[in-house]
Amino acid sequence: MTTLTKEADVPAPRDAGASGAFLSVRDLYVHFDTEGGTVKAVDGLSFDLERGSTLGIVGESGSGKSVTNLSILGLHNPKKTDVSGQILLDGQELTGAREKTLESLRGNKMAMIFQDPLTALSPYYTVGRQISEPYRKHTGASKRDAHLRAIEMLDKVGIPNAKLRVNDYPHQFSGGMRQRAMIAMALVCNPDLLIADEPTTALDVTVQAQILDLLKDLQQEFGSAIIFITHDLGVIANVADDILVMYGGRAVERGSVEEVLRSPQHPYAWGLLTSMPRLSSDVNEELVPIKGTPPSLLAPPPGCPFHPRCDYVDQVAGGKSCSGDRPMLPAGRGAACHLTAEQKQTFFIEQIKPRLG
Amino acid sequence: MLRFFSRRLAGAIVILLVISAVTFFLFYAVPRDPAMLACGKNCTPDALEVIRKNMGIDKPIPVQYWEFMSGIVTGRDFAQGACPAPCFGYSFANSDPVWDTILDRFPTTVSLSIGGAVVFLFIGLGAGMIAAWKRGTLADKVFSTASLVLSSMQIYFVGPLVMALFVFNLGLLDQPKYVPLSEDPAAWFMGLLIPWLVIQIIFTANYTRLARSSMIEQLAEDHVRTARAKGMSGKFVFFRYAWRGSLIPIVTIFGVDLGSLLGGAMITEWTFSLPGLGKLAVESVQKTDLPMVMGVMLFSATFIVLFNVLVDAAYAFIDPRVRLA
Amino acid sequence: MRTARVSVVGLAASALILTGCSSGGGGGDEGVSKDDAAKQQVKYEFGDEQASTGPAEEVKGAKKGGVLTVYQRDSFAHLDPAQMYVSDEGSMSTLIHRRLTTYKRDNSGKYTVVGDLAKDSGQSSNGDRTWKYELKDGVKWEDGSPITSKDIRHTFERQFAPFVSEGPVFIQQWLAGKSGTGYRKMLPDGPYKGKHLPDKVLETPNDKTIVFHFKSPQPDLPYALGMAGYAAVQEKGDTKEKYDKKPVASGPYKVASFKSGKSMKLVRNDNWDPKTDAVRHAYPDSHDIQFGVSYEASTKRLSSDSAENKTAVSYSNQVDASSMQEVRSNPDVKKRSLAGYQPYVGKISFNMDRLKDKKVREAIAYALPAKSLMQAFGGSGGGELGGSYLSPTVAGHTGADPYGKAKKPLGDVKKAKKILKESGKSGMKLTFAFQNSPEWQEFSIAAKDNLSKAGFDVQLKDIVSDTYYDQIGKTKNKYDMYHSSWGADWPSASTVIPPTLDGRQVQDGASNYSHYNNPQMNKEMDRISKITDADAAAKEWGKLADSILKEDLPDIPLMYYKQIQLHGSKVGGVVLNDVISGIDPTQLYVKK
Repeated sequence: MTTLTKEADVPAPRDAGASGAFLSVRDLYVHFDTEGGTVKAVDGLSFDLERGSTLGIVGESGSGKSVTNLSILGLHNPKKTDVSGQILLDGQELTGAREKTLESLRGNKMAMIFQDPLTALSPYYTVGRQISEPYRKHTGASKRDAHLRAIEMLDKVGIPNAKLRVNDYPHQFSGGMRQRAMIAMALVCNPDLLIADEPTTALDVTVQAQILDLLKDLQQEFGSAIIFITHDLGVIANVADDILVMYGGRAVERGSVEEVLRSPQHPYAWGLLTSMPRLSSDVNEELVPIKGTPPSLLAPPPGCPFHPRCDYVDQVAGGKSCSGDRPMLPAGRGAACHLTAEQKQTFFIEQIKPRLG
Repeated sequence: MLRFFSRRLAGAIVILLVISAVTFFLFYAVPRDPAMLACGKNCTPDALEVIRKNMGIDKPIPVQYWEFMSGIVTGRDFAQGACPAPCFGYSFANSDPVWDTILDRFPTTVSLSIGGAVVFLFIGLGAGMIAAWKRGTLADKVFSTASLVLSSMQIYFVGPLVMALFVFNLGLLDQPKYVPLSEDPAAWFMGLLIPWLVIQIIFTANYTRLARSSMIEQLAEDHVRTARAKGMSGKFVFFRYAWRGSLIPIVTIFGVDLGSLLGGAMITEWTFSLPGLGKLAVESVQKTDLPMVMGVMLFSATFIVLFNVLVDAAYAFIDPRVRLA
Repeated sequence: MRTARVSVVGLAASALILTGCSSGGGGGDEGVSKDDAAKQQVKYEFGDEQASTGPAEEVKGAKKGGVLTVYQRDSFAHLDPAQMYVSDEGSMSTLIHRRLTTYKRDNSGKYTVVGDLAKDSGQSSNGDRTWKYELKDGVKWEDGSPITSKDIRHTFERQFAPFVSEGPVFIQQWLAGKSGTGYRKMLPDGPYKGKHLPDKVLETPNDKTIVFHFKSPQPDLPYALGMAGYAAVQEKGDTKEKYDKKPVASGPYKVASFKSGKSMKLVRNDNWDPKTDAVRHAYPDSHDIQFGVSYEASTKRLSSDSAENKTAVSYSNQVDASSMQEVRSNPDVKKRSLAGYQPYVGKISFNMDRLKDKKVREAIAYALPAKSLMQAFGGSGGGELGGSYLSPTVAGHTGADPYGKAKKPLGDVKKAKKILKESGKSGMKLTFAFQNSPEWQEFSIAAKDNLSKAGFDVQLKDIVSDTYYDQIGKTKNKYDMYHSSWGADWPSASTVIPPTLDGRQVQDGASNYSHYNNPQMNKEMDRISKITDADAAAKEWGKLADSILKEDLPDIPLMYYKQIQLHGSKVGGVVLNDVISGIDPTQLYVKK
């Protein structure tokens, strides 16, 4: 289970070392220098994750969810990226770690599955070779053993006739098979942390379900912690234990899957839910997209980054201004919003829930 | 594989036929009469008639074209004697057999192109990859600037400059000259050194830029990121994953460059007075020497087409997604 | 003779024609000094037996040995004498082929026609209708066999064979007494099917003697026999078409290898006996000729005088126009340069079918700036101002300049304007066609400027270099004026005036570009052609040329073409020979 506690009174930020979490991210800032100025891709993010559990990170494109995970793996360009804060993996500090250290962790203790298996696999080498490469590197296995391991992994991820297909090139695989191969590659060294960056987005729906099931099964077998990045709430309901909703480089709401999906507290989360089609809804009912556009990361709006798109700015009382004061996300269950807890509940029940059908 | 090559061969023949027809008919579109040029003092209609007959240009142009083309396959008989296949006829200008002349000139062009190409390919790739690897550093800036400057230069400018400096003023290098490799390897090397250097300067610059940009492009590819994400070292990723992909544009351009160099490096050969195919082509055009123009044109075109096929075959070798069919 | 196609495709004269010429030449940097009295009375003597006896006078300081590197722009298209016409080949030809007569140049630059294979320049009788030649003793082919009168007969008879199409045709026509190609009917297959010319035409009474019988007087025969095209061909070694690649040598050198377009190596011919040769030497062990070296490249190489270029020279490559200034201003290069005449006279031809009013032609003639033309061709190294049809290298040259082209080199616009006004045609349209080459472009602009000031409405029409002579050679062309040039085949005006000014020669492709046809002048040409005294004939030609220019003005001459040639510092014996329009290869030696 996750360390995200449901009691609102847990102070934040907590002492990361003391949390005992497998992965602990504290006050993470990731800034890129570009010609147009500094892009604040991740702007003060904290979360924890325990072994064997799954954290779903939801958000629009550009909300900083992918960048967060690339910086955990240290795959950003160090010359152009300014990373500060703390990333502790099993007690080991990753920010500012040497490239050699990160190399030995990548693919070994932490692995990543990318969104588009077509471009993420090299077209020039066989699937087997690409799977066995990290295994040989991290375990020092012989070529032969690594090859056998690749077959075993392909078999495990459900590739029929793995012995033969191991010598195929990625283009000889179907989309779903490629993603299975990708997963096999990520899991070949039994990583403790698996980051899946929209692993099903590029796949069609039936294949999506298969891949999700596969991930769940494998998690049970390997006991890995998974960060599951998606913009699809439907997918996340299926796989995650906890949810982190990101907006403009920050976390705006967190809680268990249940909590966030059943009673979301942030107007942005409401927007996400209402913009998603449901089977049970009336076909004539219009989906309501969130108005406006995602915020510029070069010059994020002051105060609450969501305020230019928020319908409830007028409702905020108590001398707080959405455009002036930045709302903080409380530790544990909660949302970064100036609305009072009652307002949140009332608005959700009265205005949002009916539209969710 | 076999199907690929036979299909491409058929395609090549069609291309060559088109090129030959265009060359042949364009030649006659220019209002110049090769017989008139060959006809000496007090040229009269009878004399012209005799010359036309000797040259085989007394018949209608399509018939001439047919005779020329079929002669390549079957051979022909001329006043100068029998001309076995592949027969491109005899030069209008000096009555030499065209095919023999081409074979005689080809070694010069081969020496020039292959020698130059080896140097520019390797130095260019090396410099480009270093620039990509050290992107943004001083080394990158030096290489990039140098290659930009050099690639905007022209052989006919750099050539005489290099000659003036190293041959005429300093006397360090030999004047360009072609001596067959079999005759005197040292003289062969020294005689071609300057042309190689000059071809190299210009081509290397292009290859540096090409290698740099395609490496940088490849380094941004998803699969390269994947390789890094699975813990492969920077060097490994660079030389295995990124490099393989960056070869494709390089091989493409190299194939075209080498093919056209082998078909005759006109400007280079002209600049250095080297008796290769390119110079032969220019001279033949000036002399209205149709059989020679046709012969050189087809020979050069064959190389260009051939190298296109080789480039495609190389794609299949580099990229398993490409299938030869 | 063929027109000088100066500046074809950005190169200078593409086909220099074998030609004769008077003085000039001479070593030294200035080469040709201008208009001294000697040159205005050009005269070639026909040498006797003594003048024709070898060995040739030694070149001062010359040593045997060494390898001479020779840069040539164009490969030799022919090695068979019968196919030779251009002067590059003529230069080389003198090293390997001997003729009945040849031109001897003495150290003062005086030329004499002497016997080469023959004992003298020829004995004529029957009013120059019969010419007898006797071969020297000891003249041999490269295989050691003697050169006999049978070989000489064969040499001329094979000129009638159909495969011979590119050499000179004068003597064939004279023998047949027919113009055009009618001579071929006399011996349609040449000597190859066992037939020969009858003795009443060409006679060989013994192995040493050959007699020519002509139907009309041929006073120019000794000149014509000196052409490369009439050099001897061995009967036994005659391989017809193939002879063109592998000729049998009679001169001081033989062909060791010949790779068309690439290179040629000439080595000493041991069967050539210097005692039989009044003209040639064979100092270097070999001539290594490289083809395909452009004028620009040979100029750069030779002026650098770098190691391997010290012993290099070119028989006929000139300094390219753009380098002339530099060559003349750099003293080190200048002292290794020679300047001399080319055989060509550059002129502007008027289309007499369109410009019928002589006043108009006169106005143009006065207006044109001759100096601009000279400058376009590289200044005084490229040409000399000149106002008459006969160049200083042709017997009969008078130095007349009726339209002041040398005296007022910038053109006399005022006078032109006045004359045009008198004709009442001020403001008339005038189309000037020129070759699309840098030199002529430059000149056309200067010419248009002057002509406009004189009151013409000038239209410039540039024509692609390659087709220029085809275009202006059409009798129905639509241009009012165009440039043309002409050079003599041998230093007699008989190879200049009739081909360019005989009105009976007006036809498409012929060289009477102005379409000039004055029956009275035609008659005069016929009369002078029959004069057997060469000196008297030369004088008459000179007079005729000047009177056509003065009275009818079909073309206005502007310039006598000149050239500069370079050689490496270790090459000696470098003299220009105007007969072959270039450096005489037989006098060269390699300095130790």
